[in-house]
Amino acid sequence: MIRLITLCFVLGFATSVQAADGVHIEIFDRGLPSDKWPTELPAVSEEYDETAFGFIHVPWQYTSTGVRADRGNPYLMRATSAVTLPAGKYRLLLRARSAARLSVDGKRVTELSYQRWYKGDLTPPRHDALLLGLTRFVAPGDQEKLIEVTATGKPQQFVLELIVGGMRGKEPLRPELGETLVAIAPLGSTHFRLLAPGRSIQLTDEGWESYITERTAVHEAIEAEGRKLAFASHEPYWQERRTFAAAFVKANPAPVVPAPRRMLPANNAIDHFLNAKLEPAFLQAKANPTGAQFHRDVMPILAAKCLSCHGSNKPRGDLQLDDRTSTLTSIAPGKPEASELLHRVKATDPDEAMPPKGERLTAREIALLDRWIREGAHWPDEPPLSVSRVAPLTTDEEFLRRVSLDLLGTVPTVAEARAFLADRDPLKRTKLIDALLADKRWADAWVPYWQDVLAENPNIVNPTLNNTGPFRWWIYDVFRDDKPWDVAVTELVMMEGSRLGGGPAGFGMAALNDSPMAAKAGILASAFLATEMKCARCHDAPYHPVTQADLFHLAAMLDRKTVVVPASSTVPVGKLSRKPLVNITLKAGAKLDPRWTLPKLLASDRVPPLPAGEENDSRARLAALMTSPENERFAEVMVNRIWRRYMGHGLVEPPHDWDRARASHPELLKWLAREFVASGFSIKHITRLVLNSHAYQRQASPDRDAFRLFAAPAKRRLGPELLCDSLHDAFGKKYDTDLISFDLDGIRPWLQGGNYGVPRRAWQFPYLSNDRDRSTLTLPKAQAVTDLLTAFGWDGNRQSPVSDRTAEPSLLQPALLANGDAARRLTRLSDDSALLALCLDATSPESLVESLFLHTLTRQPRAEERAAFVALLAPGFKSRHAMGPFAPTPPRPTQPYASWAHHHSDEAVLIKQREAEAVRTGPAPTNRLTTDWRERAEDALWALLNSPELVFFP
Amino acid sequence: MMMTRRDFLGTSALTAAGLRSPRAFATVDSRPPLAKVEHCIVLWMGGGMCHLDTFDPKRRGDPKTKKAGSDYAAIDTIVPGVQVCEHLPQTAKLMDRMTAVRSVTHNTIDEHATATYFVHTGRLVSETIRYPSLGSLVVHEKPAPADVPGYVVIGIPNVSRGPGFLGPKAGYLNVTETNQGPAGFAQAEDVTAARQERRDALLGVVRAKPTDAAVAAQEDAAAAFRKLAGPSFLKLFDLRNEPAALRQSYGADFGQRCLLARRLIGAGTRFVEVSFHLQFVNGAGWDTHKEVQEKQHLLVKDLDAAYSTLLRDLEQQKLLDKTLVVIATEFGRPPEFDAGGGRGHQSKGFTMVLAGGGLAHRGAFGATDDLGKSIVVKPVTVPDFHATICAAMGIDPHKELFDGSRPVPLTDGGKPIAELLNG
Repeated sequence: MIRLITLCFVLGFATSVQAADGVHIEIFDRGLPSDKWPTELPAVSEEYDETAFGFIHVPWQYTSTGVRADRGNPYLMRATSAVTLPAGKYRLLLRARSAARLSVDGKRVTELSYQRWYKGDLTPPRHDALLLGLTRFVAPGDQEKLIEVTATGKPQQFVLELIVGGMRGKEPLRPELGETLVAIAPLGSTHFRLLAPGRSIQLTDEGWESYITERTAVHEAIEAEGRKLAFASHEPYWQERRTFAAAFVKANPAPVVPAPRRMLPANNAIDHFLNAKLEPAFLQAKANPTGAQFHRDVMPILAAKCLSCHGSNKPRGDLQLDDRTSTLTSIAPGKPEASELLHRVKATDPDEAMPPKGERLTAREIALLDRWIREGAHWPDEPPLSVSRVAPLTTDEEFLRRVSLDLLGTVPTVAEARAFLADRDPLKRTKLIDALLADKRWADAWVPYWQDVLAENPNIVNPTLNNTGPFRWWIYDVFRDDKPWDVAVTELVMMEGSRLGGGPAGFGMAALNDSPMAAKAGILASAFLATEMKCARCHDAPYHPVTQADLFHLAAMLDRKTVVVPASSTVPVGKLSRKPLVNITLKAGAKLDPRWTLPKLLASDRVPPLPAGEENDSRARLAALMTSPENERFAEVMVNRIWRRYMGHGLVEPPHDWDRARASHPELLKWLAREFVASGFSIKHITRLVLNSHAYQRQASPDRDAFRLFAAPAKRRLGPELLCDSLHDAFGKKYDTDLISFDLDGIRPWLQGGNYGVPRRAWQFPYLSNDRDRSTLTLPKAQAVTDLLTAFGWDGNRQSPVSDRTAEPSLLQPALLANGDAARRLTRLSDDSALLALCLDATSPESLVESLFLHTLTRQPRAEERAAFVALLAPGFKSRHAMGPFAPTPPRPTQPYASWAHHHSDEAVLIKQREAEAVRTGPAPTNRLTTDWRERAEDALWALLNSPELVFFP
Repeated sequence: MMMTRRDFLGTSALTAAGLRSPRAFATVDSRPPLAKVEHCIVLWMGGGMCHLDTFDPKRRGDPKTKKAGSDYAAIDTIVPGVQVCEHLPQTAKLMDRMTAVRSVTHNTIDEHATATYFVHTGRLVSETIRYPSLGSLVVHEKPAPADVPGYVVIGIPNVSRGPGFLGPKAGYLNVTETNQGPAGFAQAEDVTAARQERRDALLGVVRAKPTDAAVAAQEDAAAAFRKLAGPSFLKLFDLRNEPAALRQSYGADFGQRCLLARRLIGAGTRFVEVSFHLQFVNGAGWDTHKEVQEKQHLLVKDLDAAYSTLLRDLEQQKLLDKTLVVIATEFGRPPEFDAGGGRGHQSKGFTMVLAGGGLAHRGAFGATDDLGKSIVVKPVTVPDFHATICAAMGIDPHKELFDGSRPVPLTDGGKPIAELLNG
């Protein structure tokens, strides 16, 4: 089903660099032996050009639908270039992760073997690195060799062949290049340069890092192009789906946008829908006296304590307490003493007491019920509002910060802030929204949300329950490419591409799960259809109209075959000490065939057109039924998720389970859903609509009553990733972790040792805990970040999907911001701090204070703040510059390093102790400021960092 | 018309024929009484402590010739008929204060993380629910006084120690470095009291009066933190307040952690887990595969010093009867030696130890076969073991908690070891 496309790329550099000046790369990945050089090469499967013999990454290959694909493992990479060097003798340095061989003009000059140094878990740390002056150190896990070569002064043909990846038994290794390179230096010199036909790249840390930054950008462009090219073959099919969707929209027009209300502000259609409800609610609010109010006081009690049994699904004893008529059978308005309902909630006899299980009603709750009944048990359709007008618009400062956090996942820079605040264009908010929507960081802002909703859960050591592949990279690509969401969901359901390298096949994985497809069906149903099937994993859902069979039929659609209910997915009735509270209709071993079980959402025969050749594929059919425009639930769930993210409260709550939910604004929901379908299932389009509305741009309120009808958006806390990323940007520090892997050498099977690179944003961190209690299996620098993330509600161990994370205030949050390792780093004025330049260049304490406030809080200091901060920073301001040398840059990981291969050794323990100590001490303070003044500036930063403002959206 | 609950039970009994009503099952009163232990310290032997080389010695084997059996000689204890390994001489003298439960068993897959989760929660990892750890259950049921942390984990933080669906309030405070206090509580050395004062004054200016409830709640948490993180709290972590001889008697890293645990218990903390941890002795802890076995006796000796000192210290402070001290581990190890002279994993039969807490101790309970491979007398499941701890602490192990609307019994059908509770 997956057809791999062979892609030929010419680099962006090709126009300025002669073809002869390039390094030509060929990839051979078909049928290579796993542990030795092939005797003859298979056909080339890919070709592209580089500019130098320095490689850390081969651009991803994509399946025919445009998702990351695995190459054959191992694969062979051949790099060829004619290089002319001034005649003379040179030292040549070859580095590679695994086997490599280099020839010059057809003659083999050196080679590296398959890794032979690794001798099991007890290998001591390596000390075999070459010391070559200022030359960059060999990377962990790589081998190196130094030889002498003679240059003729004429073009010489260099050919480097590498084996990438490999197998350990039957398990694939990570197909990584490490820092593969060929470098040369004239004999007697240690000034190594990368071997390159048309450029000069010094092999120092600085030279290498800037070369890699450049190549990474080039590779990203190649990859974006690769996805586009690959997807092209599916374009006609999706055109057909667009036509189908257009026909649906035409036949089912969106609800009419209500007329503007004269007294209420509006920016677009969203406001008109909201105002149509707000206006009468405001009028009613003015008319309503105090007293026990049904919606405010009574319904929450019923919802919390009664509705799980007496709700609209299979109400027990025929009493349905979310229905006015039914409820009236259990109460006598005006007469609490004659009301059965009140009698039951007060009863002490266990046979009469309600609720029979769980927490009883509190005295206060009973009193409220009593009062409400005594006052006549009024039950109006719409709850009145306690607020009487919409909240005022945010200030420009507030708006800028809010929209930057929402769209970029971070705060604006000082320059961005000054430019926006100075702009006099009345349309500047719309312009800003457009500009931020076009920014590539848009993807960073969305990835963590979908990691949670889709239970992305990759492991860093051996897999545990429900570990998946790191399909975060697929999510990222979806947002980078602004992929239509019917396409995205189809890709997810099809589960193709690379499993451990970041393709949607990684979603299809559920480690140690004996019914992985049941788990996946449950995730898909809650994520995209707001149908909660969690209970159905083991039994029929007690409070939802979902049977266990419903879930397992969907699982069979994903599995493309009949599935069997495993024993672990049943309730062992015999073991229970009481009658089960749930219906168990399936026995272990029951067989369920592929079948669509959500006819209420869409009839099973309403399958939209399927791609040619996939007509009989149940997985393709499931994807099509889920994403069909006729399945209105899908679009409604998606727009509600978008709405909720930006407004803090959904049009429907909760976002993943609509069984008992009612939309507060059904017409608006429908209208947005039509917009979503008509725009080609574009999250960006809906985002633009929401963010341009007056409703979004209003000041926030924590008052439930205000955000229920969106008189104001809800006060939102920053999610953990957003908080962590924005704090790092606001305080001018990049994440400085090393490679996130316990197996830097790449000697463990890929499945048992992930490598998550060096994170740029918080969503790239994996879960680090491994239940092994070994200091050698910790990553102190990364832990400083994940500790902060965790305190604010992050859980990288996402065994099951979540739409909301616990982010209640806790003691640990202020503790870590006050004294935690990450906070210490953030407030330290070290040479790598972006705030250092502000401190060095400021012309007056006043302007510095202003810059610091803008940089961190996106606002001007208030008068008293200005006074306090200036009073702190003015003494010694003029003489704050110190002439001290640059503080030494922290050493990067060199040999010996601690990794899985040597994690039992004392030396590894020492290495980790030093790492942990370095994190606790924090980075060295700069020597360019006097100590006294710097410490005061750091105290100022500390106060800003601990401001509760940072934890919330403005 | 409303149906009464009695009516409802009547009809449902008809429809669910054969299933007895809840009432008929409700109380099977062979349950032992609930005791009143106030505190619990769990000493966690991460990696899988070999019962044969510690508390359940068998015939002597030999790693060199791969002869299956214990690696060390056995010695007598003060409890007649109960022996332990030769590297536990101090512990042997206190055997009447403890019971080595030699018949613990579970059958999770042979993997550290999975087994560790099981021994901490009594449940397999589930995709539909997050189970709380024993420590979280205990503080949830028996909250500690407000001015001390209820539940402290001394070691590297892990999900299996977490509160699961009980939420952050039942979570633990983590201490990795004994002398530094919990992360976020100890101030950096370069921040003098004067600087902190300056910082607080500035923060007071930046922190405008919260205008709404959400911000106010965050401020409350910050205020609570400042209140807790005072000098008296941090003093708890300063082990220099203890007599030098006592500190020395506790031993190296692990012992110092045990001493900290005792200080916390003394201050009112309900539950402390102490991870066994010895830098530089062997990087794998109790996970004694291959050559790691060679230095295992050093771990056992260290455990002996720390554990026996802890019990004596608690006894001296009159805390031992109020404090249950548990030695727990994710699994044991088989009598056979692997190719490198070490041992693999064995979960079907291994030892965990209960001490103090005023239980009816007997040195040892349950038994494995001649080579310690399988259980021959009185198997104790992990839920049973947890139920014993709960019952000792006055917590009903059958009580139902709720994850949303889903009822979750405190332990998965665990039955307390009646002999230890009844005396």
